[in-house]
Amino acid sequence: MPFNPDLVRAAFPGRRVDFYKETGSTMTLAAKVHEDGAVIIADSQTGGIGRYNRPWHSAPSDGLYFTVVLRTTPLPVLTMAIGLAVQEAIARYTGLHCDIRWPNDLLANGKKCCGILTQLHEERVLAGIGINVNHESFPFELDAIATSLRVETGRTWPREALLIEVLNSIEAFLRLPQDAVLAAFTQQSSYVRGRRVAVELNGTEVRGITAGLDANGYLLLDDDNGRRHTILAGGVRPCS
Amino acid sequence: MNIPEIKELIQALIDSGVAELEVQRGENRVRIVRGGAVQEVVVTTASAAAAPVQHVVSAPAVPAAPPAPKAEEGLQTVKSPIVGTYYAAPSPGASDFVNVGDSVKPGKVLCIVESMKLMNEIECEVSGTIIAKHVENGQPVEYGTTLFTVRPS
Repeated sequence: MPFNPDLVRAAFPGRRVDFYKETGSTMTLAAKVHEDGAVIIADSQTGGIGRYNRPWHSAPSDGLYFTVVLRTTPLPVLTMAIGLAVQEAIARYTGLHCDIRWPNDLLANGKKCCGILTQLHEERVLAGIGINVNHESFPFELDAIATSLRVETGRTWPREALLIEVLNSIEAFLRLPQDAVLAAFTQQSSYVRGRRVAVELNGTEVRGITAGLDANGYLLLDDDNGRRHTILAGGVRPCS
Repeated sequence: MNIPEIKELIQALIDSGVAELEVQRGENRVRIVRGGAVQEVVVTTASAAAAPVQHVVSAPAVPAAPPAPKAEEGLQTVKSPIVGTYYAAPSPGASDFVNVGDSVKPGKVLCIVESMKLMNEIECEVSGTIIAKHVENGQPVEYGTTLFTVRPS
């Protein structure tokens, strides 16, 4: 089904909603947009990016690829709040309950179905969100690590209605105080405590067991030598 | 030994009132001498492959705090606005955003500090020349860590 941006515009009167059939990356377009709450959507991206400019597979017509422009105080937990918002929207709309890998990757059966990249750009937060919705399958190199809502639920989903759900959910979660976001995250993510993970810290791989969040939402890790680390950035992955 | 550790040592020196301090940790040796006007910090490494002097950092006289590298008047420092991980380049293998000697203008992106996947582009606020980069790619930084020194033009 072709994406119909007018359905989204009708749900959010007064909000800027831009739709592109194809673009390099919605993040690049959003960098030039200043209206709070503006949404830049692409049906397909030729240069979709993830953390640290890694490519994000953006097949035409199957996914939701969009960036939301937020004129908001960039609390460190903002990125976790957005992850929680997308998780809740997907659960409410499709019934699929995703796990959250700190700080905000959404996983279904251990495979990624949604990636979120937030950039602080000239006093605005650009929240780039990629959701694998109706992908029937993935290229070989992604098959072991990626999944879609369709693969997990056995049916396709209208992307416009899901996007409306996600945007409403983001609004609700951004109103939460930091301690409420941390409490919700601790409840929703299996990665917060007792999970064996590897992470790159200062150029070295550290393995250990996750030990909860600190007061600011950073992930604590007890390494194999009994030393506690505070994880500041992403890149957490399960390990043996 | 990294910049935050060296800063810690400088602070320890200030707090204790000791005039000179020498610390050896692994291959790195740091000697901090407190002078009348400036403190001199010299980090040397025993590794034959590396240059004998890695960093020479001068800091303002006691009791000025925090000890920021500022050897000449009028220099501006760019500090990290958040706790996070410092990235010198937009992606692995790419060229650094800026190098020492580069001319910069307001709005020029100097680096990224990532905090929980929130990528903060740190922009230059003045026109000038980058005269020092204080942090290594991938290194954790604190709120207020000095990232660059710029000589305004």
